[in-house]
Amino acid sequence: MARRVLVFAALLAALALATVASLALGAIKVPFGEVIEIIFGEAKGGPNEQIVEALRLPRTVEALIVGAALGTAGAILQGALGNPLASPDVIGVTGGAGFGAILIIILFPGSIALLPVGALVFGLLAATLVFLFAWSGRNRGSVGKVILAGIAMLSLFTAGTTGLLAAYPERAPSAIFFIAGGLTTSGWEELETVWPYFAVGFAFVLFLIRPLDRLALGDDVAASLGSRPQLIRLAAGIAAALLAAASAAIAGLLGFLGLVVPHVVRMAGGSSSHTYVVPASAVGGAALLAAGDTLARTLRAPIEMPVGPFMVLLGVPLFLWLLRKAV
Amino acid sequence: MAASEVPLLAAAGVEVEIGGTPILRGADLVLWPGELVAVVGPNGAGKSTLVRAVSGLQGLSGGEVLWQGRALGEIRGRELSRLRAFVPQRMPVPAGVTVREAVTIGRSSHLKMLGRLTGSDRAAIDASLERAGVGRFAERSLTTLSGGELQRVQIAIGLAQQAPVLIADEPTSQLDLGATIGVAGLLRRLTADGITVLLVVHDLSLALAVADTVVVVSEGETVATGAPAAVLTPERLAAVWGANARLSEHEGRTALHVAWLDAAHQ
Repeated sequence: MARRVLVFAALLAALALATVASLALGAIKVPFGEVIEIIFGEAKGGPNEQIVEALRLPRTVEALIVGAALGTAGAILQGALGNPLASPDVIGVTGGAGFGAILIIILFPGSIALLPVGALVFGLLAATLVFLFAWSGRNRGSVGKVILAGIAMLSLFTAGTTGLLAAYPERAPSAIFFIAGGLTTSGWEELETVWPYFAVGFAFVLFLIRPLDRLALGDDVAASLGSRPQLIRLAAGIAAALLAAASAAIAGLLGFLGLVVPHVVRMAGGSSSHTYVVPASAVGGAALLAAGDTLARTLRAPIEMPVGPFMVLLGVPLFLWLLRKAV
Repeated sequence: MAASEVPLLAAAGVEVEIGGTPILRGADLVLWPGELVAVVGPNGAGKSTLVRAVSGLQGLSGGEVLWQGRALGEIRGRELSRLRAFVPQRMPVPAGVTVREAVTIGRSSHLKMLGRLTGSDRAAIDASLERAGVGRFAERSLTTLSGGELQRVQIAIGLAQQAPVLIADEPTSQLDLGATIGVAGLLRRLTADGITVLLVVHDLSLALAVADTVVVVSEGETVATGAPAAVLTPERLAAVWGANARLSEHEGRTALHVAWLDAAHQ
């Protein structure tokens, strides 16, 4: 009990630190104290206030929401499918979103504003196809069927993406930023398009925490308690698809975060109770993405690099260190 | 009929098909308050399917299941969880979950959506831990438990539902002698406390010792129901199990005597 409280407190501290760092650091450094004054509306105006409020705040908020969404999506999928390898990749969302975005980048480079829509639509389409196949015929909604249908859909859309890139190699460079996963400063506008998907996804998750705890004790115990295991899996899949597709729409392919953060949280806290793992994964994911994004735009400032590789650089050593001590 | 004469569970003509294969082809089962009923039968006879079907874990393709006079199909999940608890043979053991947390999950059908545990919920959880004899290791992780301890925890999870009927699917089949004695004694004590127990069991001498009523399932049908000694006769053991065997009971000790190498029955 005490250990998970400590870990959660540490994650909150990391979140606060990453948020302030994300607002303060970049091509122009704003002192931490001034950032805090700006956040609490006590600053007296000036260029720093503009930089923080107009450029960095929307981007930081975006990083926090996307990080929280992917951490949460991974946590509920791993719980619902009872599989440690589950992430938004295995329900096809990442593959579909990638294809949708590359389709816009390569075939409609003039309408790049449609990129989030393309990623969102194809991400949700891929997930819908996975659920349709997994929930038809015998053993509908079984874990094996969901995962296999997801992997098949991932392969299909990845093949489509690769095909597009191979057919138009001269346009491929502009797709790299999306594939590697990166945030941009167009913050509020992008969020205005996708916030309802995040909102519905997070609302679903709130009601899934207790059913997922039941499912952890097996389908029979869940059924004994009056739940329908297949329905819990479907609801978790839908919520994860909404969160992951909306994330991909504004930040590219960052599926790794959804895979690793819940494991880090479980191993560090020594608990797999969803009342702990889900909120802790949200906080941890938000902190990790905000920190990774800060690194990505300060290391070679003013050049911005994609956040994906930096997040992996931060996350993998921590993950491996914890893995060494686990089982 | 007076209310007290309605059985807790009345299942008649239960049929179940799985993937087009008929598993149950007409099974009957009645549970009266306070009794311990053991379902016995050969492998593949449909024992587990029968208890899963009456519990609502397995869809019916025919027949009728009434819980306290109400059709199973009309009872919502949350209500059903307060009519019966189902204890699976062996639940998955998630890492990082303690005994108390698992039993708390067993209480969750009593909570309002997004509601928190109340004092009476906590009391029910504590009582379930104590009754199942797992209170002294309540803070241990599930992954550290022995098979017998884990089976008791599963029963504690079922008890937290506070349902009048506890249904256990082969709770002793993977346990050693001592652990089996422990679980059998626990189930018998629950019956003494007023909980009705429905049990799938392979060990016929155990069924003879603990059950008030035995239901024999053979090839998808219930072929006999009654007091253990009256039902588990040498003739029935020969007809259903193909065994040259008889059961004996003397001063609370039961035994199954088998002519293991009797060629006539092979």
